[in-house]
Amino acid sequence: MNRITIDPITRLEGHGKIEIFLNEEGDVENTYLQIPELRGFEQFCVGRPAEEMPRITNRICGVCPEAHHMAGTKALDALFHVEPSSAVKKVREMFYNAFYVTDHTTHFYALGGPDFVLGPDAPAAERNILGVVHKVGVEIGKEVIDTRMRNHHVIKVVGGRGVHPVAGMPGGWSKAITEEERDEFVEICKKNVDFALFSLQVFDDIVLANQDYVDLILADTFTHRTYYMGTVDENNLINFYDGMIRVVDPEGAEFVKYEAKDYAEHITERVEPWSYLKFPYLKNVGWNGFTDGKESGVYCATPLSRLNASDGMATPKAQEAYEKFYETLGSKKVNGRYQPVHQRLATHWARLVELLYAAERMQELVNDPEITDPDMRMIVTNTPDEGVGCVEAPRGTLTHHYSTDENGILTKVNLIVGTTNNNAPITMSVKKAAKTLITKGTVVSEGLLNRIEMAFRNYDPCMSCATHSLPGQMPLEVVIRDVEGNEVERLSQFTN
Amino acid sequence: MHKKTLVLGLGNPILTDDGVGVLVAENVRTRLPKDTHIDVTEVSVGGLTLMETMIGYDRVILIDAFQHLEENSPGVVHRMSLEDLRSISPTQHSVSPHDASLVTAMETGQRMGLPLPDEVTIFAIEVENVMDFSDQPTPAVAAVIPEVTEAVLAELN
Repeated sequence: MNRITIDPITRLEGHGKIEIFLNEEGDVENTYLQIPELRGFEQFCVGRPAEEMPRITNRICGVCPEAHHMAGTKALDALFHVEPSSAVKKVREMFYNAFYVTDHTTHFYALGGPDFVLGPDAPAAERNILGVVHKVGVEIGKEVIDTRMRNHHVIKVVGGRGVHPVAGMPGGWSKAITEEERDEFVEICKKNVDFALFSLQVFDDIVLANQDYVDLILADTFTHRTYYMGTVDENNLINFYDGMIRVVDPEGAEFVKYEAKDYAEHITERVEPWSYLKFPYLKNVGWNGFTDGKESGVYCATPLSRLNASDGMATPKAQEAYEKFYETLGSKKVNGRYQPVHQRLATHWARLVELLYAAERMQELVNDPEITDPDMRMIVTNTPDEGVGCVEAPRGTLTHHYSTDENGILTKVNLIVGTTNNNAPITMSVKKAAKTLITKGTVVSEGLLNRIEMAFRNYDPCMSCATHSLPGQMPLEVVIRDVEGNEVERLSQFTN
Repeated sequence: MHKKTLVLGLGNPILTDDGVGVLVAENVRTRLPKDTHIDVTEVSVGGLTLMETMIGYDRVILIDAFQHLEENSPGVVHRMSLEDLRSISPTQHSVSPHDASLVTAMETGQRMGLPLPDEVTIFAIEVENVMDFSDQPTPAVAAVIPEVTEAVLAELN
């Protein structure tokens, strides 16, 4: 193969770009997913008071400000050595699950769903939420928007501000919930649970009832056997707000379970010359290239990963959905727990199982007597030094790590954002899909490119975290080059 | 009866030129009388959330950073309609890679029967740097903030 030169993305800032290189036979030799990286975040933060971080980091990303706000707030708990009260934890977790309800709903109906509701070969201009509404009816569209809006209302009331919350503080939360607000939330939670059950039914009716889609999900094209990461509670059940980080191997056996603060003992990052983004991997397995299997330190942190890394869901209806998920996909129980599902397109289904959990968990917390405790503040008296905060962001485990001087002024900042965890798996998924779908003589159509993009879309990579909102629509410019490096095809996909 | 009006600065206030819309909105806010009926706010989001922020208003003025994919002249200001957004490159924050473009989101909202504004005016400011973290815009972009502020105020009158 010729030397590969990939120009840094300058004018296309924010765009993802996939370069596909063909060999002499016209088969795929290699693929490169490029995501540009924003610069200077640490320098921007150093010298500022640490308590500003939950409000600074929630500006990094327009997609999951709540996740950054929460990871930042938890990092402050650790930094200032202050343990939040049980009421504070419950309010935070309730707020956080409201965010999950909005985020998972949006992904399924606006981004992942169109591939199934309209089909992978539908014109790109129709493969969006408007297309879904056309196909399934305006009532469902209304439900989606209502679900987003009622939970954004909860986020605004409890977070102190819409979109970019401000309530997180070391050891506490600046907004207590009144009895009146709680009564309103009880109604919202009922609707959320109904909506999540309805969404799983939609998945049953539209996807599982269609053998073509089931075959697509089960296809080897979209399958990778890697390690999986997720946060679990003391019973090894999924929790989005807090717990231990658990990693299982490709056969489902627990590889390690550690406290978030010890992440650097378990995760390290690899630099590739062709990528701006680093590739985290399991330090104690080692880097063995972009490969599947137990010998490769590549791990995945997504809704599917969280299901695989846990022993189940902590709420009853979600547990039923969890069992159905594994049974339907042919997973066997070994030592009392289901073996991992490796088919990456099943992530869309896993996301809906998590949606139901988030709705149920939020409901449990809203009905908890402590949720209206007026005492949400802890007085900080300890000298700050270093702290790690970690939550499950919808797109993967999110870690904030701050160091300060004795006055709480930041000296060092490190973030591992959800999508970065999945950089290696995404790269592998794109490569495998391209290799399988493009062979000598293949006519490259939009539908085919969309299938390659589906390999990437199921991770819902949050480039805004590492990068920024895009100037164009859903990114991907796919460039296919021949053995000489000449461009033979260039297609831009605009999916929304 | 006043038209219910929202001035919405879009952008990330800590990403150099990206936050120019937020800075303009802040300037507009300080220039409005205390008893104004006009709402001024700012967000760093696009797509569906942006559409939802506009619910209940008759008229919305958006201010956003803008980058041409080909030629870019930092500091040049464009006044656009939603129709323009549909036909040319979108501005920095009118799209979200995770859900929908503003145009699609508005159409979706209209289909849902949501009370969305009839009038949406967009001030798009061509920018230079949206890749480095800083709370200071570059000089060419900073220089047009007063001019855009005046343009928004003129639009409101």
